[in-house]
Amino acid sequence: MKPLNRHSSLALHTLRHIFAMLLLLVLAGGGVSVVAHAQEATAPTESTAPAPADQPSAPDQAVPKAAPVASVMAEQREKIEGLTKQVDDISKKIDVAGKDDAGLVALRAQLEAVDKSLLDSGVAFRPRLAEINSRVTQLGNPPSDGQPPEPEMVANERHALNTEKAEINVLLGKAEDLSVRVNGMVNKITVLRRSLFTNMLTKRYELANAFTGEVGHAVNYEITRLYNSVSAWLRFVVQFKFRAVLAATFFALLVAAVMQFGGRRIFGRLINRDPSLDDPSYLSRLSVAFWSTLLPTLAMGVLLSGTVTLYTYFNVLRGDIGVLLSGFFAVLFVSFFVNCLSRAVLSPDMPNWRLISIESRAAWLLVWLMTTTAFVVGLDSFMGVVSDTLSSPLSVTIVKSLVAALVVGVLLVLIGSVRPFLDEKGAPRRWPTTLRYTLYLIGFATIVSALLGYVSFAQFVSQQIVITGALLATAYIGFLAASAISEEGAFADTSVGRWLKNRHNLEDTTLDQLGLVANVLIHILIVIVFLPFILFQWGFQPGDILVWLNKLATGFKIGSFSFSPLAIVTGVVVFVLGYFITRWFQGWLDGSVMARGKVDAGVRNSIRTVIGYAGVALAGLIGISSAGIDLSNLALVAGGLSLGIGFGLQNVVSNFVSGLILLAERPFKAGDWIVAGQVSGTVKKISVRATEIETFQRQTVILPNSELINGAVGNWTHRNKLGRIEIPVGVAHGSDVKRVHEVLLDIARSHPMVLKNPEPFVLFAAFGESALNFEVRVFLADIGNGSIVQNDIRFAIVEAFEKEHIQIPSPRRDVVVKTSTSSNGWSIDDEKAEAEYLEILTARAKAAEQPAPRRRRKKPDPA
Amino acid sequence: MKTLILAATACLGAAGAAFAASAVNKDPQPRTLIVTEGGSKSELAIGPGETVEFCSSGCFVTLPNGDREALTGNEAIEISGGAARFR
Repeated sequence: MKPLNRHSSLALHTLRHIFAMLLLLVLAGGGVSVVAHAQEATAPTESTAPAPADQPSAPDQAVPKAAPVASVMAEQREKIEGLTKQVDDISKKIDVAGKDDAGLVALRAQLEAVDKSLLDSGVAFRPRLAEINSRVTQLGNPPSDGQPPEPEMVANERHALNTEKAEINVLLGKAEDLSVRVNGMVNKITVLRRSLFTNMLTKRYELANAFTGEVGHAVNYEITRLYNSVSAWLRFVVQFKFRAVLAATFFALLVAAVMQFGGRRIFGRLINRDPSLDDPSYLSRLSVAFWSTLLPTLAMGVLLSGTVTLYTYFNVLRGDIGVLLSGFFAVLFVSFFVNCLSRAVLSPDMPNWRLISIESRAAWLLVWLMTTTAFVVGLDSFMGVVSDTLSSPLSVTIVKSLVAALVVGVLLVLIGSVRPFLDEKGAPRRWPTTLRYTLYLIGFATIVSALLGYVSFAQFVSQQIVITGALLATAYIGFLAASAISEEGAFADTSVGRWLKNRHNLEDTTLDQLGLVANVLIHILIVIVFLPFILFQWGFQPGDILVWLNKLATGFKIGSFSFSPLAIVTGVVVFVLGYFITRWFQGWLDGSVMARGKVDAGVRNSIRTVIGYAGVALAGLIGISSAGIDLSNLALVAGGLSLGIGFGLQNVVSNFVSGLILLAERPFKAGDWIVAGQVSGTVKKISVRATEIETFQRQTVILPNSELINGAVGNWTHRNKLGRIEIPVGVAHGSDVKRVHEVLLDIARSHPMVLKNPEPFVLFAAFGESALNFEVRVFLADIGNGSIVQNDIRFAIVEAFEKEHIQIPSPRRDVVVKTSTSSNGWSIDDEKAEAEYLEILTARAKAAEQPAPRRRRKKPDPA
Repeated sequence: MKTLILAATACLGAAGAAFAASAVNKDPQPRTLIVTEGGSKSELAIGPGETVEFCSSGCFVTLPNGDREALTGNEAIEISGGAARFR
């Protein structure tokens, strides 16, 4: 292979990867039937593959007793020796093919396969080793000195077993050493490939030598040869394989047509722009752009790769034609993809649907410039393949790549100089400065480096621009869509959002939150889908990515702490799962078991709460251990912390323990009317740290549990809601107290809410200063109705007393007025004294008329 | 719901089982395994009663009693008396 074409083949390789990935995506989307078919197809190969290593390693499979034991040894020895030879060969090949990237990749794959086989060989010994070990244990240790000797047969058997074991260990040691060597070679290949890549980028060709006049000849010669080989192939096809070609083409077209038309039918709404819409939302523009890039490109990919696969299947492709055809298809594919993408983003024929608001003329121009760039880059890569297969002289390859690099450079500069926007006056305006100069820079860099002879570098840059650029642009559209979907109200407007809203009656806030979730998911999806493509493009191999994934899954060490993202995710998932299982169990136990079993509400609440905390704690512990965090380390930390807890968290812990006691002892339950210190109200919720009490003024008081445990708590509704209320009433001195007693008792008895047993009682409480005091004491079934009953009884008392002419007196007051003149004997002015005396009398009468301030007795007010 | 939980548990179990071999030391004294994985040899000390996970993608192990074993990366082994037993 010519050195320059190495990179072309690398690009082709990459394109093939992309092809394969797209095909995979399509197959995955195609449904289970395809997968099932694929599995059917692969299953026989697996079973027919000679896998001596796999069979014995199956744990439940009995050791093949019939097979002679020695055969395992001989077989594996042979195998390991074969592998050693293979590794020697590969080692030589690495030195020979040190400059061929694709060759190195292939060698690495072989080495990895060897490593796997070595491991399999090692595993194949396992059943025999287990057998030997168990037999040796059965035989026991050889008798020590002084003990009677064991039978010779036993000694012989032990000897034989130990010898065999030693042999197996030697073989395993060989396999191990070989494995170490293989891994060293894999590392060597990685280093070689890296330096190869660097060399490729910095390699300089003498352009003067390339243009020495033979180029024209060489190009002509090459074209003739290409024509000859293609026409020879076509003749062969027409004569011998005409039907096969027709069938293959037909099938490939059929699949593509099914995808294209079926896809349009199913996803038509997603792909087609509605020209009647004046102002489609940004989200719908984005989604149309995304789908109208993805689906047609997928269909095209399936058509092209399907054609190649079917042609290969029918043996139509002969010699180098297969490589040429793949290369040509890759060109078609890349051009088509870039065309789709640029049309999707710029939408030249429908200005309303454009993602960036640019001029229509500029949009058309950009679409064609971009497609041409992609086509030129693809063609360059294809010509590289042609040169490779036809073994063209180096000068031809250099000239072709030089021309391609120059054209791409010019195209980039042209793209940069397009004036896509309009300024305020309507005159065309250029791209933003940064973008414009970046494009100029890359374009000129390509041109200059190509002219200076760094053709490979120029070729590499132009390829990266097209393919990485296109991939990044598609991913960027996806990111934009993800951001658009998380905007307020955007998700509710999508079809999924509408469906969820109708189906599950979700609120707008919930939908917005779901929009956020969708945003995150789309971001992750885009990274998962596009990152591999971009990595392939940059020369990484699928093997590299798998190794990374494996590292990510199994974790890496930082100091002595091993960190494994997957384990942590597993831990979190386990915890969430445990949490939901707890909630579900709680609900089931509470709703189905305890409610049916007529369990007391307080007990139910306690059990529910305890199960909730226990479940969450358990889920947390399991989650932590599945995250790979050693719980014994945690215990150490907890031990250290306990001192701190003793001082700092004393209150919290005390409340926590009090909460547990409250749940176990249940002095009150949710719904009880309790009085704790200054607080009186209904218990709403008993948590582990504090209890929530709602006062009758509807104030919520959060009372730490320790106060409820340490202080006295009055509970009006502990075992039952029965309670007594007292209504004091005073009657004037001189009233008929017997009659009063009777009237009060009648009133109390006649109230419907007053209990007959214990029966109401009227107490003649005291001989007051201004009144004879009575107290009506009645029992109620529900103390919560206290205020209603008090009201009713008071109204009734006033009415009845009026009827019976019993007075409820005001407190009596004597006012003594001292006058300064009265002490000096008879007054000189009798008239004046008389007038003064009259005034005092009126004042006294007035004072007597004024209503006495009502004296209220303090009573517990239930409401 | 139940099916979902079962499926999720099964998935987790499968995921957990597929990613590494584990070794538990049942002996009263610490044991050292020599693990050759990915071309490098390393010593793995396991304290009494301790369980370690290692060997994510296949490895060769030399056990305390000198026996050698090849692991594919999904085994669970028990070390007692310096010898390994596969569970």
